Amino acid sequence: MNIIVCMKQVIDLEQIRIKPNTREPVTKGLPLLFGDFEKCALEEAVRIQEKHGGKVTALAVGSPKLKDTIKEALAIGADEAIILTDPMFNDSDAMGSARVIAKAIHKIGEYDLILLGDSSADEYSGEIPPRIAELLDLPQVGFARELEILEGNDQGTNTKTIRAVRDLEDALEVVELDLPAVVGVTSELNTPRLAPLSAILKAGRKPLNEWGPEDIGITADEVGANASVVEVLSNLAPVQDRKEIIYEDVEEGVAEVVKALLQEGVLTQ
Amino acid sequence: MEFRLSTEQELFKRMVREFCEKNVEPRSREMDDKEEGIPDELIKGLADLGVFGIMIPEKYGGSAPEGEEMTYANIAVQELGRAEMSMALPVYTLLCLGWGFLITKYGTEQLKEEVLPRVAAGEYFTGIATTEPGGGSDIANIQTSGMYKDGKFIVNGEKVYISGVLESIEQRDGGHITLIRTDPEAGHRGFTFVFIPAKLPGISYSTFDDIGRMALSTGSLVYKDVEVPEYYMLGEMNRGFYLNMEGFNLARILVAAACVGMTEKALEISRDYVKQRVLFGRPLAKFEGISFEIAEDHAKLEQLKLYLQYTAWAADTLYKEPDFISHRDLSRMVSICKMEAPMLGAEITQRCMTHLGAFSYTKECPLGRGLRGIMSYVVGAEGGYHIQKLIIAREYIGDEAVPYR
Repeated sequence: MNIIVCMKQVIDLEQIRIKPNTREPVTKGLPLLFGDFEKCALEEAVRIQEKHGGKVTALAVGSPKLKDTIKEALAIGADEAIILTDPMFNDSDAMGSARVIAKAIHKIGEYDLILLGDSSADEYSGEIPPRIAELLDLPQVGFARELEILEGNDQGTNTKTIRAVRDLEDALEVVELDLPAVVGVTSELNTPRLAPLSAILKAGRKPLNEWGPEDIGITADEVGANASVVEVLSNLAPVQDRKEIIYEDVEEGVAEVVKALLQEGVLTQ
Repeated sequence: MEFRLSTEQELFKRMVREFCEKNVEPRSREMDDKEEGIPDELIKGLADLGVFGIMIPEKYGGSAPEGEEMTYANIAVQELGRAEMSMALPVYTLLCLGWGFLITKYGTEQLKEEVLPRVAAGEYFTGIATTEPGGGSDIANIQTSGMYKDGKFIVNGEKVYISGVLESIEQRDGGHITLIRTDPEAGHRGFTFVFIPAKLPGISYSTFDDIGRMALSTGSLVYKDVEVPEYYMLGEMNRGFYLNMEGFNLARILVAAACVGMTEKALEISRDYVKQRVLFGRPLAKFEGISFEIAEDHAKLEQLKLYLQYTAWAADTLYKEPDFISHRDLSRMVSICKMEAPMLGAEITQRCMTHLGAFSYTKECPLGRGLRGIMSYVVGAEGGYHIQKLIIAREYIGDEAVPYR
């Protein structure tokens, strides 16, 4: 089983501050980490590899910081990594990013499974898995919270399928896909392992390839800010204003507060 | 000049922190209340992460980042101090790291093969036994004898205030690097450093009722005609005093790391609290009496933290470049860390307690555990507060400031 795990580095969400006057998030200078979904995708890939053998390749598009960030993926268990950090890829919309990823996967060539977070922790658009599946003409399933590789035999040929349990919020759906396929995973899938010191120290010695636009055959009209058709109009934290309502009567106050909390969905009846 | 941690160091720090936040911190109160030692699964988890193998080369089952051991150990122990503020787990770990490093450096091949893989796996404790009922600060005056005869040291005497007594005899397994007098006539040039497994025949023990770090035992070890094979000797015969001093340098750096980690967490608890606690219509943080205290303490702690990182780096560098500085220079630097970290931590933690008020006096709040724990390093353990001043004065002022000459 050759598995490609697509990973996105995102800013450390716990460190975002909101400007009190403008409600804009301050995201400059924050550490870049892999999000929880990516870590679950990688963990699953490593588990599948431990069971079925093969190779795990981590693939990431992002800023030059990736040279550092990707070491975590290599320490967790990816056998090699491919990073794409050319400035041409900056400010892509989801379609642009999907084109870069799909072309890189196409160049890698041999793969049975593409795993990635169903959404990224920062933008949470959830567009990448279906878009790359479409570009690569592969079957795709999202919101996977359980995965199982099934090996079969069809008229003398070994066949591989993957069974996924999809989380549809009010129901679980079980689907089977022929491999190769694209699977977007949720954080319920597993508990990602921590990288031990020995693996951290060896991560730097694993193969790390850096590919540019010419390596994957992409041009400036397909990717980056120019190719973006999405315009972000506003990205502000929700308004938080204190109501400062003072009830003189305790009985009435309690009733009103409970009513308000029910309305806000904090309490349920 | 490079002040940043490397990518690998940052990653290791994050891994240890993630493990600690998820596994250690939630059990820290229980550990202090129960007084039944450190849960095996925490030791096992840290060993799996490679924490107990930081000082130990791969050949002996460890994962030493060669030439950066102290830097990595400093990182790990600070994280443990943050998560387990009573400092039982940080101290257990730092003793294994600091004294394990000395075994790596000076142990015989047989000793290393016997002990180090088990230390790295978290199965085996390694500590230090120097102090005696007659005192610990005046090391040149210790009495435990270990006459060498027929390939063995015959050890008689008593060591007290020894960490990890129950851990190495009852709960797990382990031993202590022990300072014994092998030439009674030769003063401090008559000591030898030997590793003594705590379960050897002839060793009995008792425990003390400490006021803090309740998940780690302290006690005395009594040796009656204990036969210690020669291969347990570290370095050369009658050079034990110097090895002990060298080992103190390593362990003291990590003691300071545990204290800095604990204090950093205490200050964060206070910082978070004063932002949300409203008094006279505004958050406590708006009162300069509070915010200036926190600002000053933050400044002092940041300076110490940087100096500690520098000292850990200096220790690493000294092993790579023996001419870089002298061991005495390193001792001065280490003593600055060991003098400052426990006392500053105790002071800051007390101020934090005044910010949190009565809640801080309950066991629900970890600050009390932190204060009780850190006091062990103010009063003694790897050299008390005043001994550090004596070392700094000796190295900075000169022999004029030495009381024992």
